[in-house]
Amino acid sequence: MNCHPKLYTILCWPVGLKHIVNNFKRSKTVCKGWQTWACSQRLQSSISHDASKIKQESTDSTQETSSKPVVTSRSLKFPTKHTYPRLAWLESMDSVESKKLGILDLHPDVFAVYPRIDILHQNVHWQQMYRYIDYNFEKSRAELRGGGRKPWPQKGLGKARHGSIRSPLWIRGAKAHGPRGPTSYFYVLPRAVRGLGLRVALSCKYAQNDLVVVDSFDSLPSSDPEFMAEMADVRFWGYSVLFVDDTDVMPENIAVSSSGNDGFSLMPAYGLNVYSILKHETLVMTMAALEKVEKKLLEEMHSTDRQRKFVNTLRPEDFYTKSKEDNRMYRKWTQPLNF
Amino acid sequence: MASKVTEQALNLIKAMPRVALNNIKPLPYTAFKKKVNRQGNRKKKGRGDKGQGARGTWDPLGYEGGQHPLIDTSPRERYYAQYAVRRQYPPVSLLELQRLIDLNRVDVSRPIDITSICNTGLYSFHISKNHFGVNLTDEGCDQFAAKINLEVQWTSELVIAAIEKNGGTITTRYYDPPCLAALYDPLTFFKKGQPIPKCKVPPQDTLAYYSDPNFRGYLADPEKVLEAREKLAQKYGYKLPDLKDDPVKEMLLMRKDPLQIFYGLEPGWVVNLTEKCILKPKDEDYLRYYHTAY
Repeated sequence: MNCHPKLYTILCWPVGLKHIVNNFKRSKTVCKGWQTWACSQRLQSSISHDASKIKQESTDSTQETSSKPVVTSRSLKFPTKHTYPRLAWLESMDSVESKKLGILDLHPDVFAVYPRIDILHQNVHWQQMYRYIDYNFEKSRAELRGGGRKPWPQKGLGKARHGSIRSPLWIRGAKAHGPRGPTSYFYVLPRAVRGLGLRVALSCKYAQNDLVVVDSFDSLPSSDPEFMAEMADVRFWGYSVLFVDDTDVMPENIAVSSSGNDGFSLMPAYGLNVYSILKHETLVMTMAALEKVEKKLLEEMHSTDRQRKFVNTLRPEDFYTKSKEDNRMYRKWTQPLNF
Repeated sequence: MASKVTEQALNLIKAMPRVALNNIKPLPYTAFKKKVNRQGNRKKKGRGDKGQGARGTWDPLGYEGGQHPLIDTSPRERYYAQYAVRRQYPPVSLLELQRLIDLNRVDVSRPIDITSICNTGLYSFHISKNHFGVNLTDEGCDQFAAKINLEVQWTSELVIAAIEKNGGTITTRYYDPPCLAALYDPLTFFKKGQPIPKCKVPPQDTLAYYSDPNFRGYLADPEKVLEAREKLAQKYGYKLPDLKDDPVKEMLLMRKDPLQIFYGLEPGWVVNLTEKCILKPKDEDYLRYYHTAY
């Protein structure tokens, strides 16, 4: 009988079954408890002086729109046991000064992983290399002009023997083992390393206070690039900012204003990459983009399916744009020629 | 994920320059080592002076001058394949067991398990050598005449017949190495003051054996075991003694829980030898751990 041991205990052992069922029930309650614990931690930690106000306002928030922060609860999937969720302000884009709308939970497996600088390097190197094609080309001794004739006789001159003036020993001779032709440096980094790279990059941004979460980009009131520049200046966002939204259709104001500023880039969530995160000083994400990125990274982290090896099935013929020319010298005429 | 080390590292980079494209680098020593070009030096290239070492003129081992070699044509018989990870069961024969009983080395009035066999001093095993307990062999099955409740780790059908013919009962039982260490020398184990371990579920490849009623596996259905006892008696042609009116019926039918390793002691308990008492855990998490199999 081939059967999983756990299943076996269920099948042939009623006592074990009872415990397994009990455990299952318990684990569910534990999950709920984790969130409430996280909630209490969140209130106690960095904003303990405001905690009482927050609690009051969170109940009154439906009646009046207050400018003071309100806890924004998010249900984090894949809760971790041995650490706590990180906190981030939810800000708005509707004024130059930063307005705090609430506090967010960030998953520690995405925003508080060990800062593996080497993994960042691997990712950046991959991003730079996979699209790089080395066009350097050096002619071989056969391809160089001349050199077919023996320069002087083998014997009798007291000189060194030579067979070709294009030998690598000669000045103006060929290069031995020179670069040959367009060389592709394409490779695929393992999926786990790519996922970890993104998580490390986000963790570094969060740890160094360079991660900003805003409600949405719709609330930006002006399309003036100077307004945006002033906002970045007042909020200490630095010279380069990466704005990430969940869709690739951006509001007009932010599109126009960021196109007027050097160093301000827009990006959809699916384009988020390590190189861009590290290239820009500040990463500004919308709430929706944050949800999407976090969900995707956590799913990748917990998925059990194996990565399939990348196999390039494309042949050079697939890149030809022109149809093949008919170079046949003789052709059969199916119809008589009309003169 | 987030251990103390992670917290410290994240705190450390808070005060450091921004992690950016200009200050990331790989781990040291990960680059490929440059190959030494042995052909470059026109000396002996590290291969010594003359002969086979320098030239490599001898044929490789097993090469028979081009004829299909014996090493390739003869089938492989891997007696020692995966020897290091195979489970071993040092044998005890029925004859030896009968001798132990006759010499009063084991007490027949109590259930006999691996502890009582080890306590005779005539049998030992080593956990470090992947020994997983007793294999009861059939040598002396005709001479065997004792009515016992026996628990062994491995046995065969003939042995089971020999024991049940005399009115005894037998169970095959798996113990994992930490449990075997406790069972081998209970006194030393109790002196350590550790809680009694719970026994793990047998490995995948032995599950079929330990849940087989024909081998009296401890995970088998008890009703099917009764059926198998009857069938075995018919097969070997003996009359199965009736256990119903047996004076020692209770002793013969004593069994351990699949998690339990000592009779009368539950996993998780601590036996205190100095104060001569037993400490039982009350914490709910402990109890859950010690009463769950996985």
